[in-house]
Amino acid sequence: MTVSTANEAQLIAQAQKGNRNAFSELVRVHAQGVLNVVYHMCGDMLIAEDAAQETFIRAWQKLPSYRPQTPLRNWLYRIAFNAGMDMIRKNKRILPDDINDLPLTDGQPGLEMLVAQQEKTKLVQNAILSLPDASRAVLVLREYEGLSYQEISSTLDIPVGTVMSRLNYARNLLKSKLKPQLSLLEAEHV
Amino acid sequence: MSNHVTEWLNAYLDGELKGRQLHQVEEHLASCEACQTELDTLQGLSSLLQEVHAPTLVSHERFVSQVNLRLPERRAKETKDSSIGFGWWLIPVGLLAAWIFISTTTIVSDMVTVANNFGLLDQTTASFVSSPANTNEWTATLGQVGVLNGKGLQWAERSESYTRDVLPQFVWQGAIAFLYLAWIAISWARHTRQVNGQLLEG
Repeated sequence: MTVSTANEAQLIAQAQKGNRNAFSELVRVHAQGVLNVVYHMCGDMLIAEDAAQETFIRAWQKLPSYRPQTPLRNWLYRIAFNAGMDMIRKNKRILPDDINDLPLTDGQPGLEMLVAQQEKTKLVQNAILSLPDASRAVLVLREYEGLSYQEISSTLDIPVGTVMSRLNYARNLLKSKLKPQLSLLEAEHV
Repeated sequence: MSNHVTEWLNAYLDGELKGRQLHQVEEHLASCEACQTELDTLQGLSSLLQEVHAPTLVSHERFVSQVNLRLPERRAKETKDSSIGFGWWLIPVGLLAAWIFISTTTIVSDMVTVANNFGLLDQTTASFVSSPANTNEWTATLGQVGVLNGKGLQWAERSESYTRDVLPQFVWQGAIAFLYLAWIAISWARHTRQVNGQLLEG
């Protein structure tokens, strides 16, 4: 769901004056992006939805002080990151889901493949969730939201050099945690 | 092959390298198998990460209504803010007005004094213009005591007279300039705090 920049600027101006309908429109536009960020931060759909709602409530309260020098999306991601971290602290156990929770197969080849895929996804997700918060935030914004280093830097209020080092750190850690999966992937491509 | 470009591979993969650096990495990759393998691993990792999808919102409408239900009343802070903002912008306007007023008064006063000295004012008007007092009190005293005499006394008298005329102008213009600069500095600090606040809030 997209909205033109001019339209968004109008909606922001109206929402800043207290127009709830304009704000609802902004929520509709950015809901999925915010949900993506918090989901990849915490790995749990229910908590992610709660954190996404919390993000928009905080955004509503802070909106009068919002200045358009920062793109709204990046501003929301910053709030989403903080809301996600608060939810993780509040809910303590999010990491990582047990692989044994996955459904058992009856030996059907289609189902087996599906479960294997789910298992792989879960492993990758757990590896992401095991990263330190600061590195995970940079990785999520880069890999899943496609933000440039400069955008990540302004969103998280850290220097570009720190973005690069955190990203290097996160990827190196993931490479070692997901070594078997990466070897399999390489073997598939050879 | 030495001088591996491993540390730049992430930035290269993310399309963040430009110009000479990009050229260097590309050139190195063409001839270094180890770095090419490392790049392949990073690409593999990236595609592996893409297998984790965030669930799509089933209903945007439901989500929007849930947010709407939880939205609190916004504190009525805007009116206060706008009145403070208006008052804030009155400060430089007031300083400018004060500067114009004092400058005009000084110029008019000087012109009247000069006109009076040349006898251009009639008796009634001239009575409003204060006659210049003996302005060189300090040098006169020093002359009487015998500390200064001759050319030294003349020079000191001229200096005192000049200082007495010019110093007040320096003082009030300096004071207005200082207040104006302070206003700019505070405005800048407030603006920076607002921008930082936006980035840090949440």
